[in-house]
Parts: sequence; structure tokens; C-alpha cells
Amino acid sequence: MEIISKILIYLIFILAAPLFIGIVNKLKARSTGRIGPSIFQAYYDLRRLMRKETIYAGSASFLSRLAPVVSFVSILFAGMILPIGFTRPLISFSGDLILFAYLLGLSRFFQILGAMDIGSSFEGMGAAREATFAVFAEPIYFFTLGSLAFIFGQTSMYGIFHSITLKDPSFLVFIVVASISVFFLMITETSRMPVDDPNTHLELTMIHEVMILDNSGQDLFLYQYSAYLKILIYATFTSNFFNPFNAQNYVVGFLVYLAVMMLLIGCLVWVETMLGRFKMKSIPQYLLFAASIGILNLLIYSFFRK
Amino acid sequence: MILNLFASGLLIQLLGALLPLLIKSDKRYSALSHYTAIAGVSVSFIGTLGMIFFQSPGIINIFENSVWGILSLRFDMLALFFTAVVQLLSIPVLVYSLSYQKPYIEAGKSIRLSVFSFITLTISLQVLTIANHAVLFLMFWELMAILSYINMIFENEKPEVEKGSFVYFVATHAATFVLYIFFLILHSKTGSWNFSDFHITNDGTALYYVLFALGFIGFGTKAGFMPFHFWLPKAHPVAPTYLSAFLSGVIIKLGIYGIFRVIEFLSPNDPIIGWAVLLISLMSAIFGVWYALAQHDVKTLLAYHSIENIGIIGMGLGLGILGISYNNQVVAILGFSGALLHTLNHAIFKSQLFIGSGIIYQNLHTRNIEKMGGIVHYAPWLTGFFLIGSVAISGIPPLNGFISEFIIYNGLFHSGSMAPYYTIFMLLVVVGLALVGGLAVACFTKVNSIMFLGTQRTEFKKFTVSAAEYFSIGLPALLCILIGVYPMPAVRLVSGVVEGLRFNSFRLASQGTSFYMLPDFFPIMVIFVLLFLMAGIFYGIKKYRASKASGVRVSKAWGCGYQHLTARMQYTASSYADELNSIPANILLIKEHARVPQDIFPVRGACFESHSEDYTEKKLMMPVYEKIVSVLKRVGILNRHDIRVYIAYMLVALVAYCIIGFLWKY
Repeated sequence: MEIISKILIYLIFILAAPLFIGIVNKLKARSTGRIGPSIFQAYYDLRRLMRKETIYAGSASFLSRLAPVVSFVSILFAGMILPIGFTRPLISFSGDLILFAYLLGLSRFFQILGAMDIGSSFEGMGAAREATFAVFAEPIYFFTLGSLAFIFGQTSMYGIFHSITLKDPSFLVFIVVASISVFFLMITETSRMPVDDPNTHLELTMIHEVMILDNSGQDLFLYQYSAYLKILIYATFTSNFFNPFNAQNYVVGFLVYLAVMMLLIGCLVWVETMLGRFKMKSIPQYLLFAASIGILNLLIYSFFRK
Repeated sequence: MILNLFASGLLIQLLGALLPLLIKSDKRYSALSHYTAIAGVSVSFIGTLGMIFFQSPGIINIFENSVWGILSLRFDMLALFFTAVVQLLSIPVLVYSLSYQKPYIEAGKSIRLSVFSFITLTISLQVLTIANHAVLFLMFWELMAILSYINMIFENEKPEVEKGSFVYFVATHAATFVLYIFFLILHSKTGSWNFSDFHITNDGTALYYVLFALGFIGFGTKAGFMPFHFWLPKAHPVAPTYLSAFLSGVIIKLGIYGIFRVIEFLSPNDPIIGWAVLLISLMSAIFGVWYALAQHDVKTLLAYHSIENIGIIGMGLGLGILGISYNNQVVAILGFSGALLHTLNHAIFKSQLFIGSGIIYQNLHTRNIEKMGGIVHYAPWLTGFFLIGSVAISGIPPLNGFISEFIIYNGLFHSGSMAPYYTIFMLLVVVGLALVGGLAVACFTKVNSIMFLGTQRTEFKKFTVSAAEYFSIGLPALLCILIGVYPMPAVRLVSGVVEGLRFNSFRLASQGTSFYMLPDFFPIMVIFVLLFLMAGIFYGIKKYRASKASGVRVSKAWGCGYQHLTARMQYTASSYADELNSIPANILLIKEHARVPQDIFPVRGACFESHSEDYTEKKLMMPVYEKIVSVLKRVGILNRHDIRVYIAYMLVALVAYCIIGFLWKY
């Protein structure tokens, strides 16, 4: 019975993913003085892609056909590890925080291969950037979540998020610090504004969009859906730090989750409205900054509690 | 009975090396020799497995002698594990070696010596691992060095072969020299030549630490830890590919075997030793993969990746030593079993990748990845097998590399509570390992996409891969998947080996208990199986929808409106790695040579190339080497080319020995 409710929740989660990006885009348009597309635009886009024919480049091999699927499925599984709100995730065992990072790595590996498969230098450029920034993004994840894992002596995501309580005031600092660095991570990994611009089609200035230039139809559908899913996963990841308002009731938990999500959307929109894209050269610095925030957690813990 | 199987397997291999020498035709000689050897290795592999899973005969004495002591073979779990690794990987490598020799035989090159020495090399490795007597061990250690050297100079008509293999020869002998000292000190301290008696405790004296350092340097040079790795990237590109595969997959693992023995002998219980090993390993891992990223020669690149993986194995070892030091059983078990499993895994996928690179070399006659590309359209299966190896070596699920890294990660997370502030140190190590993972992904996406994907940078019309070659790369690929989705047997095996480790006065865990201290792999197995299933289902749905519902079309790649994309316009490996390599450019010693287009109408000849040089070699080894040479030149005054002077030297030395001996005794 419990497993069915978990699966149901996860299904709703998957289905809601395009909505999240729709709301972000709508609010962003509004805050920059435009009317913007409907919040359901992402669904319309997906439906359109579903119907379009799939075009492959002449130089594309089986990897172009395989990569979108692997990329999508591995993100799907990564999402299962993450607790949504306060519910116990579909998959939870000790060490799953490592699996989470590496599943996203699998998705990235195949997405890069899929891009490089065409043999075009546009995709090559995007793929090289993706690989480079991932090298910096991975430490951020392990600094933040790893430090919490050491503090709580837990290596499952569910365990870590459930050890955050408000009983100890120093945990408040953790919540703030960790959620900020995961927010940075979210921006990097999901190709949002200061790092990458999801809207520009100026191919020299972007990462994620340029990698999927030659994909269309079903393949683009999978890539887009996994991008939507990824951003919702990271948003949920950030929101999980606010679990201490320890709701044990579905309705309250849901409301808290929604509230945190709205707050996050607000932050995302604010950042994207206020900031332009960074220069490619300064992105590693930005990422290292985020990583150093992550280690703050542990410094605070080690030096003030002993 | 099982022992007989093992021994008869060895005997068959020996026959395979010797008897076919009587045959005249080189082709039939090579075939018969390889077939017999493969059969022999398979037989003794079954024997080894039998001893591992049913009953090990323990220590077997061969003969006793007042000078030598008891000459014996020791079949403990550690020895059997490494023997099994050697034998398991010998099978695909021997199959590959057979097909590797074919074009050379057709070209009329004499291959007898290299075939003979390669088969004897595999035999000597199997004896090396079970040798219990230090002198016997060193004999086979030396045999291994010499036989692999003979194989390495297979194409000795090329000048770079001579140079690269000489570096290997010097490095391996320098290391062996260190091992002589190591074993002599051990002998003088314990009064025995047997591995099973070499147990000394940490008495806090400098000698103990020196002893550990000697052992670590001696075996670590073979394994390729960072400051002692310089021979690896030199030797691999010049060696014939079957030997590269064997060298990287198996021979450097025997360095790890040696370090395991050193840990057994000395039972290090000082965290400083653990940290030293851990930090050296972390450095090897990070810089190994970073150097790899900067390479264009596929074999040099893979050689640097071996250094990275040895680093990961060493992290497990360091963690294990820390676990012993703090009496933390779980951490010690996690560390050692992670190291062992990664040893097995790396042996599998590294041989596989080297064999893949060899198959490409035989077709395209280049090792420069910038000149490859488009192979996937000719050999999709080869691409697939190589891809499996690449995913596995990057530690990405759902393959075996992830399993062993997962154990090491778990060990690191468990070790946070061992001592104050360890959370911070261990977090840094965890992040280091994550960084290595990220860099490995960057490197192997580069290798795969530049080598196999896109369009042909060098034109080729056909690309042939024989069935034997498919077997030799496909078998390891299958193992990668098997250990990935069903890791329990392999994990149980390494936990058994860890239980078998005998330290001076204790064992880590009693039989059958340590498996339960390792992470539970059941959920991971379920996830991986589901992952494969789901990927299959989604692929099917996608294919169905694309072909039936919405249609598929093949068109040109998007070129921003430009219609005539050529192979030269593809992204290159150098530019792919450029941004990452520019970060530690001072350590990677990246040299760039550019010829800029001149004039308003530039003519041909503009070019750009970059390559990286090894920091250890250029900045650490060469200055020391030059110093030594200059000192030796000064000593050279003593060299008089006169026999009477030499006799006088001998006399002086003899007298000095007598005096020292007299003083020593009384």
C-alpha cells in the first residue's frame, strides 16, 4: 500500500515538472515587463515535440539514438532517491547520496556522447563546457551534502534530511548555508541564468542548448523532459533543507513544500532578472565560491560544537 | 585434487611455451603455443577458483635446505585472489596476443622470442603470487621484469621503443633494488625467509618507518604511485598492445599485491602511515587523471589513467591502514575490500580498453586520437565494448567501477568519527574523489567521442575486427556488466580475502562476518537491473513512436547555414580538454607550438599543436639524475683502466670488510 502511494507521489512529481519551469518562465517574463507564455507552455512544447518527426544527422550513430533514453532514465532514477517533501523516497539505503550524484553523472556522460556523436563543433563546444563545469559542480555537491553526511553520520538522503531539526540552533546556519550552495548548484546543473542562458540561441554563448542542437522529435522530447525533471529535482533538493518545520501531516507537509517551492521560484526569477550571463571564464570562480560555502557547514560544526 | 588441477594447468602452460618451439612454421607455432597456454590458464584458473571457494591447501613446502630455509608456496586468500586476477585476465590477453601477432608473422617478423617470453611471463606471474619464500619471490619478480622487457622491445627497430623500454628497465630495477634491501632487513629482523613469518610490530623506531617506506616505494614504483610513476607513460606507448594490456591490467596490480604484503608484515598502526598512503594516492588519482586529459596518444592516456586508478586503490589501502590504527574494524574492512575490488575491476576494464586501442591501431596505424574518428559507423560493436569499459573506469553506474568506488566512499564516510577533526579531513578526501570522478568523465567522454564518433579525420575504407578480437574485448565487457549488476559474489570474494589477511597478532574479522559490514548491495542491484530494463523499455517506445507515429528522417548536421561541413571542422580533443587543462597548466607543463597564418593571403602550413610533459620527470627526476651523473663523473677519477689499481681497490675493500665485520661481532 505504501509503495503504491510512493509511486503515485513520484508520478505526480514527474508530471508536475514542466509546470515548474512554466511558472518560472512566466514570472520571469512578467518581471522583465513582458506578458510571457502560459504557465502550461512547457506541456504544449512537449506535446508538439512528441508529434514531430525525428531527424538524425547523417554522421549520427546509435549513440545519438541511445543517449536521450539513458540520460532520461538515469535522471528518473536519481529523482527516486530524493525525498519529496517529508515523504520517504522510493529508493532509500545508506550510501544513496553517492548513487544520486553518479546517476546524474551517467546522464551527463551520455548526453555529452550524444552531442559529440554529430561531429559538429557547435555541439563539441557545448559538450566541452558541460564536462568542464561538471568537474566543479561535483565538489559542490559533495561539500554540501557530504558535510551534512559527516555531521549526522548518515549516508542516505532521507536520513540526512530527517536529521535536520530545529532543536539545535546551529542547524539553522546549516539550513541557510546548505540551501544557498545547493541553489548555486541548481543554477549550474540546470543551465540557468548566470551560468547559461536557456533562451539564447546564440550558439557560442551557451552550454545545454547547444548540445541538443541536432536533436529533434522524440529525442528532443526526452532531453527537454529530463531538463525539466532535473530542475525540479534540484529545487526539491533545496527545499528539503527546510524539512525542520517538521510536518508529519500530508496536508501541512504539502503546503510547506509548495511554499518553499514558490520561494525558490521567486529567488530564481529574481536572480535571472537582476543578473546577466557571466563570462565563461569567470564561471569556475563562481563555482569554487559555491563549493567554499559548502565547507562552511563543516567548519561551523567542527569548531563551534566541540 | 584442486591443487593438482592448478599445478597441471601450470604444466600445460609450460608445455605450451616450450614444446611448440619444435614446429618450423611461425604461424603454427604461435597458434599452438597460444592455444595450449590458454587451455592451461583456464585449467589453473578453475583450480584457483576451487581453492578460493572450497578449500585452500595452506602452505606447501617444496624442499628444505639449511641455507635457504624452507622453500614453500603459500595459498592464502590474498595470494589466490591475485593469482585469479592474473589468470582471469590472461585469457583475453592471450587470445588477443594471438591475433596481434598475425600481421607480424605475415610480414615475416620473427615472433618466437616474444611469444615464448610472453607465455613464460604469465606463468611466472602465477608463481610469483603464491611464492612464500622471499628469494623465490624476488626471483620471479625479476623474471617478470626481464620477460616483460623482452616483450616490450618487440618492435626494437624503432628508436622510441628502445628509449621507452629502457626507462622501464631502469625503473623496475631501481625498485627491485629497494625490495632487496627491504627483504634483507626483514630477514635480519625475523630470522626467516618466509612471508608467513615476516611479522614485526611497530616499535616506534625510525627503522620501522624506513622499512615501510622501502616496501611502499619498491612495490609502489611497480604499481605506479605518483612520484614513482614516470616509467608508466613512457613504457606503455612503445610496448606491443597485448603487453600494454597485461602491464596495465595485471603487472602493476602485483605492485598492489606487494603493498598488501607489506601491510601484512608490518601491521602499521600509526595514522601517519595511513595518511601518507592516502595523500600520495589522492595526488596520484587527481594528477593522473589530469595528465590523462592532456594526452593525445591513446596509450599514454590510458597509462595515466592507470595511475589514477592505482590512486583510487591506494586510497582504499590508506583508509584500511587508518582503520587498523584506530581499531576501527569497519573502516579497515571497507578500505581494504574497496581496494581489492577496485584492483579486480581495474584489471578488467583497463585490459579491455588497451585491447580496444590496439584493434584501432592495427586498422588505422596511429595512436594519436586527433587523427581518429568515425569508427562507430564501421565497428559499432567495438564502440559499444569500448564504451562499456569507459563508463566502468569513470566509476559511473551501473557498471563495476561504481561498485568499488562506492565501497571506498562508504569507508570515507564511516571514518569521520575516528578522531577529532577527521570529518573535515575526510570530507576533503571525499571531495577529492568526487573531483577525480568528474575529471574521469571529462576524459573518457573525450576519448570516446574523438576516437569513435563523428566523421573520419583520417580516411579509411574498411575496418576489420576479427572474432578473436571481439572475444578478447567482449569478455571483459561482459564481466564489467556482470560485476556491476550482480556485485554480491565479487564483494563476498573480496571480503573473504580481507578476512584472510593475517597481521602480526590479529585478523580483521572472523570468517564470514566481514561481508555484513560492507554496504548492502541488494538495493543497488535492484536499481541497476531496473535501470537497464527501463532504458530498454523507453528505447523501444521511442523507436516505435519515432518510426510508426511521427517518422524518422536522416539529414545533414546543422552547420549554422553552412552546407559543407568537413571532418576537419569537428571539435578536437585538445580544444575539448583545453579549459580544464589550463587550470593546472604549470604542473601539466603544457607546451604550445603555433604557426600563425601570415600575410593577407595565407598559404598552407598554419598549424597549432600542444602537448604536455610530465612534471615529475622534467622537474624532479631529471635534475636529480643530472646531479647524480655529475657526481659520478667526479668519482670517475678513480677509474684508472689499470688492472693493478683495481686489485688494490679490492684489497682495500676486503680489509675494510674484515675490520667492519670484526668490530660488528665483538
